[in-house]
Amino acid sequence: MIRLRLILVMLLQLAGLMALNLVGRWIAHTLRLPVPGNVVGMVILFVLLLTRLVRLEWIDATATVFNRHLAFFFIPIAVGLLGYGSVIRTDGAAMILIAVITVTAGIAATGAVVTWCQRTSQRDP
Amino acid sequence: MSARITLLTATSIAITVGAYALSRWIGIRRPSPLTVPVFLATPMVMVVITVTHIGLSGYSRAGGIVTYFLGPATVALAVPFYRRRRVLLDNMVPLCAGLVTGTVVAMVSAVLLARLFGQSHALQAAFSLKTATAPVAIAEAPQVYADPTLVAGLVVVSALLGTMIGPKLLSALRIKGSVARGTALGTISSGQGVAQSLVEGELTGASASISMALAAIVVTLLAPVVVRIFA
Repeated sequence: MIRLRLILVMLLQLAGLMALNLVGRWIAHTLRLPVPGNVVGMVILFVLLLTRLVRLEWIDATATVFNRHLAFFFIPIAVGLLGYGSVIRTDGAAMILIAVITVTAGIAATGAVVTWCQRTSQRDP
Repeated sequence: MSARITLLTATSIAITVGAYALSRWIGIRRPSPLTVPVFLATPMVMVVITVTHIGLSGYSRAGGIVTYFLGPATVALAVPFYRRRRVLLDNMVPLCAGLVTGTVVAMVSAVLLARLFGQSHALQAAFSLKTATAPVAIAEAPQVYADPTLVAGLVVVSALLGTMIGPKLLSALRIKGSVARGTALGTISSGQGVAQSLVEGELTGASASISMALAAIVVTLLAPVVVRIFA
């Protein structure tokens, strides 16, 4: 009985997340925003939570499942790489080399800037 | 005919769920960047649909259904972000400065290198999105005329490289602060970076989770501009 109730609650929460996604897409489309609709939906939910128009427990159970299993939902797109054998054979090595260099640069830059900002603000409070 | 398609779709979803569950089981027993679910499950599904002759065409309908949920899944990212908003308020300037700089460095260097290596314009554009979390990068792909599948591949591979290189690189650079390490991993390696940061501690994980959400917004805002200027 409790199980069934939880499932119903989670389905309602899923409907809520889907509705926010739709609203986000509609806003992004109507206002011609450069940001995709799902990101607009994320920002809307964050604002609704901050302003307490939506309480965390209204959305929590389903949101937690999505966050824990996010990787599952992009497996099918990654599987699509099966049709890209020739691209990977010709450009794969260069792609990985570029990824290694830029990921290294990005991580070093981020870490250094955060550390630098923290030191500067500590020095003159 | 339609019964056959329904059966094919249900089988494809079952294969995906099975591969994911098995990868998670392996990943929990042998934690390593190489055993993250998407990295293990994707080749598993590829092998199964090839061997069973379902093929990409048979699998695509199931793919579309699963992929649809990337929309609400992205909306749900607001929840961990909201839970950890305290960490953002306490570290607003360093965190934001770090994630914007890191995103711009990774984006511009990737697009320029891809161009230097003579990659196609579509691939250069795909490279501009590679640090964003996969659901956002995939949704943004059409806006910069990049192929969503290649974008997804680049996101997964570079997130994996980031979690393999990141912790050692940061230690070698004597970057020890939790916020700095978490912001770097979350900005560049998104979801996989958050998982890696949580291993280091709660504050590192929280910083990574916030950075992932904010960096995703920064990537979608900047990608069209960066592609127009540099690609």
